[in-house]
Amino acid sequence: MLHKLPNRRDEAWKWSDVSRVVSDDAKGAETAAPLQIFVPEGVTVTRTDGETAANDTTLLKLVSEYAGQVWNIVVPDGLASENPIQIEGLTHGHAQISLTIGKGAKIQLVEHYDGQAGAFVNSHMNIKLGETAVLDRVIVQTDPEDCVRIATTHVTAWANSEIRQHTLAFGGKLSRLETRMAGMGDAVKATINGAYLLDGKRHCDMTSYIDLACPNGHIRQSVKGVTAGKSRGVFQGKFHVRRPAQHTDAEMRHDSIMLSDTSEIRSKPELEIYADDVACAHGNTIGALDESALFYMRQRGIPLAQARAILTEAFLGSVFDTLEDEVMRESLLDKLRGWLA
Amino acid sequence: MLKINNLHVSVDDGQKPILTGLSLEVPKGEVHAIMGPNGAGKSTLSYALTGRDGYEITDGTVTLDGKDLLDMEPEERAAAGVFLSFQYPLEIPGVPTMTFLKTALNAQRKARGEEEMKAPEFLKTARALAAELKMKPEMLKRPLNVGFSGGEKKRMEIFQMMMMEPSFIVMDETDSGLDVDALRIVADGVNKLRSPDRGMLIITHYQRLLDYIVPDRVHVLANGGIAASGDAEFAKKLEREGYDAYAA
Repeated sequence: MLHKLPNRRDEAWKWSDVSRVVSDDAKGAETAAPLQIFVPEGVTVTRTDGETAANDTTLLKLVSEYAGQVWNIVVPDGLASENPIQIEGLTHGHAQISLTIGKGAKIQLVEHYDGQAGAFVNSHMNIKLGETAVLDRVIVQTDPEDCVRIATTHVTAWANSEIRQHTLAFGGKLSRLETRMAGMGDAVKATINGAYLLDGKRHCDMTSYIDLACPNGHIRQSVKGVTAGKSRGVFQGKFHVRRPAQHTDAEMRHDSIMLSDTSEIRSKPELEIYADDVACAHGNTIGALDESALFYMRQRGIPLAQARAILTEAFLGSVFDTLEDEVMRESLLDKLRGWLA
Repeated sequence: MLKINNLHVSVDDGQKPILTGLSLEVPKGEVHAIMGPNGAGKSTLSYALTGRDGYEITDGTVTLDGKDLLDMEPEERAAAGVFLSFQYPLEIPGVPTMTFLKTALNAQRKARGEEEMKAPEFLKTARALAAELKMKPEMLKRPLNVGFSGGEKKRMEIFQMMMMEPSFIVMDETDSGLDVDALRIVADGVNKLRSPDRGMLIITHYQRLLDYIVPDRVHVLANGGIAASGDAEFAKKLEREGYDAYAA
């Protein structure tokens, strides 16, 4: 790997220093990821050569160099499937995926990030959301503690399309789950929610950048996290509302609870607004579990550890309220409870 | 019987003594009222009995039916039968009332080595009690106490008390925030729980509640301990004459 990895001197990576944790002998540092993509009927997968550009980021250059051909997933216009597209095998190495969702199509995408011990995983996905298309995206990250994961997604959303993204992440040696979205048509809708639960020395970075160029966009973002041990949670969110994007309605929230004094939470919510008739807000809280509520629960007979788990689940669980698929929501909550138990 | 002997309690990391030698006995089947001026330590007593962090016991003993309460965690005291009705019941966002109650009830049962209550039996009991307390059924589905009025929160405390059937009840300023109708409903609930097997300690600033829940004994808490005691009539005298006679 001759390229210079992002490090703390890069503003966007100041709390997630990749150069410090990835070495040339990391598993997958110079190989393609053994991807497996499962698609419902009507959806196609092909392989094509990728393109490179001079201004590609280092991580994208690595993808071009080692991932091999691009995986192209195409959901045709109007297709509405009950069955999801599933992406597995992002266990080590590099991957490049392109997902095109045709006009009026409606589909669910489920990605499971379950890396190998000591692995470096670097994936890039480009999602094109056609007019009035709807994408329900669920990401579950359950990497081991010594795995480094960079997952970057670029979403291009055309008029009246909608993306609902729900992420459940448990971190790793370093995890960066980044979503960059460009609203290129009128009235795009997005829900970009996530929960992170970290212990030990785990790190998780949820970064997002929503760039709106057209009017009537509707964005809701709620990221919540808890940190135990010596872990580090990072949230960076930015809404960029360009001059034509009038009547944008956008809310960003990051709420976190530190379960230990030795853990760390870094947060950078940003709004950059050039349109003059918009409703945009951001909020950020970092706190501890409510001691009075804990005592109240214990007075009713609930043991301390269980009281903590109940309060934490109630706190985090709300980010999945917007997930329509009840079975999926329950399975995410089960994973969350598993961590809390 | 609840037996408090020479109880000393300090707050602010043990720097500030509040109770300095309080002794009190509440036999089974009796209802005792604790009255006293603001700042006398009435709430401190309720928190010391239930084991809240920050209330340091520097001396004395507290036993319930011979069991040492001070040696127990708050949840162990609850399982031993101690119930505190809070002056300001807490809101627990995201936890439906029924889920909370079932979890609490079964945690207590488990701690006592009893069988857990099954969902159908629990639901039946809860619905019947809610109707008795004139609570709207949808209150039980909402997150505990979230968005409830002061009166609804107090009613919810009584509801929980009736579900859990504790052997000793401490009621901290239960009448605050209640209008007369709500007060009557709450008092009816409490009176139903009066039983030869159960003791109660009612902490109140005003005599009003004691018109509805008539106590066997009334005590004045002042200067860190019990300054005077009497029967139910004594509460009326206190209301007329105030607490000045007992001030330091």
